[in-house]
Amino acid sequence: MNVIEGAVVYSNLLVLLAMGLTLTYITTAVPNFAQGSFAVFGSYAALTFLRLFNIHPYASLPAVFVLGGFLGLISYILVLKPLIKREASIVTLMIATLALDLILLGIMGAYSGYLTSVTHKSCAKFIFTYLDFSLFGVSAIFFFSSLVIALILFGLFLLLYKTKFGIALRASMENPALAEIMGVNVEYTRLFSWFLSGSLAAAAGCLLPFRQEIVPATGAIIIVSIFAASIVGGLGSINGALLGGYIIGVSESLVTYQLSTVLGAGVLVYSKVISLIVLIITLIFAPRGMTGVNWRKVKWLRNIFSST
Amino acid sequence: MAQEYLLLNIALWFGLYTIVALSLNIEYGYGGIPNFGRAFAVLMGALTAGGIVNRILMAYFGISGDIVVASGEVKTVANSVIQHNPLFGIGILLLALAIAAIIGAVSGALFILPSAKLKEDYLAITLLAISEVTFMVFYYNTDIIGGYYGVSLPDVLAWIPGEQRLLVFTIIILLIALLVFCFVERLLNTPYGRLLRAMRENEEVVKAYGKNIMVIRIKTVAVGSAIAAMAGVLYSYYSVNVIASSFSRVEWTFYPFLMLLLGGLANNRGVVLGVLAFVTARVLLSIYKYEITATLNLPFEAIWLEYIMFGLVMLLILLYRPEGILKEKPIMTEPIRKLKKF
Repeated sequence: MNVIEGAVVYSNLLVLLAMGLTLTYITTAVPNFAQGSFAVFGSYAALTFLRLFNIHPYASLPAVFVLGGFLGLISYILVLKPLIKREASIVTLMIATLALDLILLGIMGAYSGYLTSVTHKSCAKFIFTYLDFSLFGVSAIFFFSSLVIALILFGLFLLLYKTKFGIALRASMENPALAEIMGVNVEYTRLFSWFLSGSLAAAAGCLLPFRQEIVPATGAIIIVSIFAASIVGGLGSINGALLGGYIIGVSESLVTYQLSTVLGAGVLVYSKVISLIVLIITLIFAPRGMTGVNWRKVKWLRNIFSST
Repeated sequence: MAQEYLLLNIALWFGLYTIVALSLNIEYGYGGIPNFGRAFAVLMGALTAGGIVNRILMAYFGISGDIVVASGEVKTVANSVIQHNPLFGIGILLLALAIAAIIGAVSGALFILPSAKLKEDYLAITLLAISEVTFMVFYYNTDIIGGYYGVSLPDVLAWIPGEQRLLVFTIIILLIALLVFCFVERLLNTPYGRLLRAMRENEEVVKAYGKNIMVIRIKTVAVGSAIAAMAGVLYSYYSVNVIASSFSRVEWTFYPFLMLLLGGLANNRGVVLGVLAFVTARVLLSIYKYEITATLNLPFEAIWLEYIMFGLVMLLILLYRPEGILKEKPIMTEPIRKLKKF
């Protein structure tokens, strides 16, 4: 896999994760610290299909997608909904998602031990790259992850803009109180957003082992990139997650690669530092993210355009 | 003997976690700053012990070379000096604590700087991200504190016979924890402490009274981080080595939050109770982990069970007793006390 291909694949997966995070943030107003562990759940689900039933991860993707959705749904119903009912503060909800993250980490760790004892192959650390094949001289994961993104975006577009449920969904995202007065059941939109968030993360997790090694604690590492992508794009906007995912994914892969050609291969492990720097710059100059900036009001940019 | 060891272990961890939980209580309990990057400050303590004091000792003894190897040589030389001169060992510990307090305060202030103006959710995300990335850099880079190889530290109590070392170290840690407790109690019973509570309840009101939220946040996290960094130093010198992987988010951010919520936010006595309850459970769990995995015939390590259990405990506290064991007490200033008498 060459560098550009790798960057696009990684960005595609980051977009899936960031979109899920943004969706639940819009409907429930809580940044989900367990989003990374949702992805690891997807990875382990794919591994289970592969080891126990010998199903290729590409084929098990729809099943993993649905399983992830149920995980998201259960997380919302068991963890967040009771707290929201008691009018818990945002910080309390955030701590609850941190606790959920730890529980999922424990479950994934325990499950990896269990799976190892069943299959007699180590499951504490795994990778799928050996399963990938080449299509027209380019790795299949490049096509496949792009196809998944295209399908999901198309599906979301149809759902949000062409159905009545989509209109209700968008209305309750813009203004939950007003939507409720108009007879929209806001609870449905929350349930739906958590289902979708979990399934998007699990789908990303199913494909992630094609690019990097997975351990039960992988979630704690990728959460930085997910947050960076969501915030750079703007936490309140789904389009922002799309934009932010590509900005962070490409800069993380390509900038570190460029730096490694100058400073040596040792730099490659510091890719998350790039995400953090981009995140901090965004927070200082445009705290509401790229989609939150009113580009017409950016003076120097307007001057450039008017002078040319 | 086994029982004594168990009790000492509980006391030692009780002291360490009391320091960290109290530092978090200043920031989150009183100030309402959700510092999801507490581990960062503790890691700064490890940096002081493993990266800075070790290099000072290297220069002092004229040892050069790679920190991973040189720290081993420093350890051997320093231990033989300390055996004859206990003051040297105590001096190293005090020096490290002082440097850690300074580094903790400065790094804490810098650490919150990018997010000092943000809302609480963005704030928490940024602090967690900075802490995680710093952890990763310290883990992969072997030049700072030895990364995944780790570095050795001199035994500051090398003059004490082996079987007494744990006891003396526990007493030192408990003494420092007591000092921190008195300091925090006094600090928070001042106009500054009341300002912190006011900021937690309503930032707008505090702003309207002409206070700068950003400055209060920076000061508060600087104080909290200085205290937490000292816990990092104590832990490092107790275990006579520093490995970046032992400063994880779970152990130094999540668990302190758990103890804080268990004991009671903004109530220092409550927090101490919370620490005691948590530490007792955890030490017992870690001692009986082999028995647990063997009796239940678990095909995995007990650490995962610990994560699941403490995660669930946290959720149950948030749901059923969010105010903790001891509730926050109303502020008792002189005028209010007089009023109550009537």
